[in-house]
Amino acid sequence: MFELQEGHRMIETAMRQFLEKEVVPLIDDLEEGKVLPYDIMRKMAETFGLTEMIKARFQKMLKKEGKKSEEEESEAGAFGGPGFDPLIGTIIGKEIARVYPSLGLAMGATLGLAGGTIMAKGTPAQKERWGLPILTFEKIGAWGMTEPESGSDAFALKTTAKPDGDYYILNGQKTFCTNAPYADIFVIYAKIDRGQEAKRDKRFIFPFVVERGTPGLSVSEPFKKMGMKGSPTGAVYLDDVRVHKSHLLGETEESARDQAKDVFAGERTGAPAMAWGIIERCLEVTVKYATERKQWDRPIGEFQLIQEKIARMYVHLENVRNIAFKHAWAQKEGKKITMKEACAAKLYCARAATECALEAIQALGGYGYMKEYRVEMLMRDAKLLQIGGGTDEIQILNIAKELLRAEGLEVKLGG
Amino acid sequence: MKILVTVKRVPDPDMKVRVNAEGTGIVEDNMKFVINPFDEIAVEEGLRIKEKKGEGEVVIVAIGPSVVQEQIRAALAMGADRGIHVDVDSYPDPLNTAKLLKAVAEKEAPNIVIMGKQAVDDDYGQAGQMLAAMLGWAQATFAYKVEIADDNSKATVTREVDGGLETIEIDLPAVVTADLRLNEPRYASLPGIMKAKTKPMDVFKPADLGVELSPVLELVRMEEPPPRKGGIIVETVDELLDKLRNEAKVI
Ligand SMILES: Cc1cc2nc3c(=O)[nH]c(=O)nc-3n(C[C@H](O)[C@H](O)[C@H](O)COP(=O)(O)OP(=O)(O)OC[C@H]3O[C@@H](n4cnc5c(N)ncnc54)[C@H](O)[C@@H]3O)c2cc1C
Repeated sequence: MFELQEGHRMIETAMRQFLEKEVVPLIDDLEEGKVLPYDIMRKMAETFGLTEMIKARFQKMLKKEGKKSEEEESEAGAFGGPGFDPLIGTIIGKEIARVYPSLGLAMGATLGLAGGTIMAKGTPAQKERWGLPILTFEKIGAWGMTEPESGSDAFALKTTAKPDGDYYILNGQKTFCTNAPYADIFVIYAKIDRGQEAKRDKRFIFPFVVERGTPGLSVSEPFKKMGMKGSPTGAVYLDDVRVHKSHLLGETEESARDQAKDVFAGERTGAPAMAWGIIERCLEVTVKYATERKQWDRPIGEFQLIQEKIARMYVHLENVRNIAFKHAWAQKEGKKITMKEACAAKLYCARAATECALEAIQALGGYGYMKEYRVEMLMRDAKLLQIGGGTDEIQILNIAKELLRAEGLEVKLGG
Repeated sequence: MKILVTVKRVPDPDMKVRVNAEGTGIVEDNMKFVINPFDEIAVEEGLRIKEKKGEGEVVIVAIGPSVVQEQIRAALAMGADRGIHVDVDSYPDPLNTAKLLKAVAEKEAPNIVIMGKQAVDDDYGQAGQMLAAMLGWAQATFAYKVEIADDNSKATVTREVDGGLETIEIDLPAVVTADLRLNEPRYASLPGIMKAKTKPMDVFKPADLGVELSPVLELVRMEEPPPRKGGIIVETVDELLDKLRNEAKVI
């Protein structure tokens, strides 16, 4: 349970070879926005047979065939079901993060956030129409929750959907939306606007699917940012966007509505894999460098202050890996991870990744500050983990809230 | 078309190899092991031949302790059909390797045996040639391109030779050894990796194959190469000549 099996190691090896060959030479261009991450995802899916696997699995799921043969089960892949091995996704995410976390973020946003929401909330017809093309990377998805005036307090979002016969009319603006500048399919969260009474109930938000090209929908240029530069981030503008009610995921307002606690759940799951990859890479680079770089005629690894960094990074690696194993185990066993467990995991992983990347830079001195060893990039990328998918502060508040509630003290995130 | 492909388990060539303190072998802790890269090319070629023919079977054979089943499964994950593990405690020398492979080849009666031109751990580069000789089959070593006749009776093999290429025609069955440029091996796909576990694998001891191992080589000692020294810049041509003559003793 706490180690990779032979099949996992095969996936790890194959992924690493692929990424070294296909992604590493493109990193500078990706960082500058000259190359987009989407064709790389497509090539990856094609190379590793993901597309075919997902299609086959999808058809079976739609048909809801009763009994599944042994072989079919063992082939279960990118999404749930019996025989599904959640560690596979973790390993893929971790291998990507070792090399180029931006690719992981862009992929996580289309596959996990947009695709995941459609697969979790959608009707079979909606899954086939929008879910499948996202899962096969034919179409790229974006997931829009955050708005200019609502981030941590996501449920204060102002985007509205006004019922109009068989249609809804969407108005509002989303920001910091991964893939938005290039996405084909947008999952947009909005509140139902029924005029005066019961207007914009703060507790509930609803996911709508909007396709690129729908009149009234526009997107910004990619934003300039500190890290995750290869993952295009932008704004989405909704100006009287008219969509049929079949674009409301789940199709009825009852089934579609999302409650606070579901919202960031999906976003959190990527953090352990991403942190694992970043820390593993930083530790490897640091250990190697510490044996090669000499000062005072000795490898710097002989200095105990450097040893302390190495040991601390290793402790983080152990912990982050164990968290990833635990999550995979829980998912496989169908056990629920509690809110405080998920938040504790995300908080720890995000901080550990940033800390390790900073320490790797420090251990490499001036060379660490230069681009060549890529640890400076990993540091900039790791920092996003402390912000996206719920900030560190929000994780802390959620943990405390749950612990205090157990003793009868109700506290609110908003203080 | 039955294609027999041999794979050897070797330390990952990208990793730093260290000799153990006794000088009897390498330190295996924390080492990653992979399919010998030339054998991986051989597997790929086997798969391509099968795919091009639209029919056939690719059978993988590996010799060594039970851990070599990992490399067999890695080849099955690439798409090969089944595996044969010849179970021996340590890796035999090229002659004994060839003896065991001969027994497997006689049992399987393939149309072609494809091997790597050498294993990157011991670099002998002998097993393929020995196997062909023992079987009395044709051989085409250092293959750059392989084409099989429609009726499976012949193969046209372009070989890498000093300073160029040579194309020969051989009768099948034959032994072909793969060179670096023969192809670029595919990555194992995810469904392939998952299916690999369920593909058949037979295990034989040498005795099961009627082979008695009789080592002809003894590993006396293993040493690491001396660490590379930095270069020096000489002031004059005379100094260069002097060093080449008296220190390097190359002229
Ligand atoms: C690269 C990138 C990609 C992103 N991708 C997406 C995406 O695809 N889709 C999407 O919807 N969003 C996305 N986001 C948005 C992200 O989820 C938000 O940035 C995040 O939730 C924080 O919201 P905010 O930026 O508005 O910060 P704010 O909520 O304004 O927070 C500002 C500061 O105040 C703190 N704070 C807030 N409330 C409290 C409190 N009650 N107590 C203590 N401290 C508090 C925060 O922790 C933070 O330090 C992305 C962000 C980035 C940077």
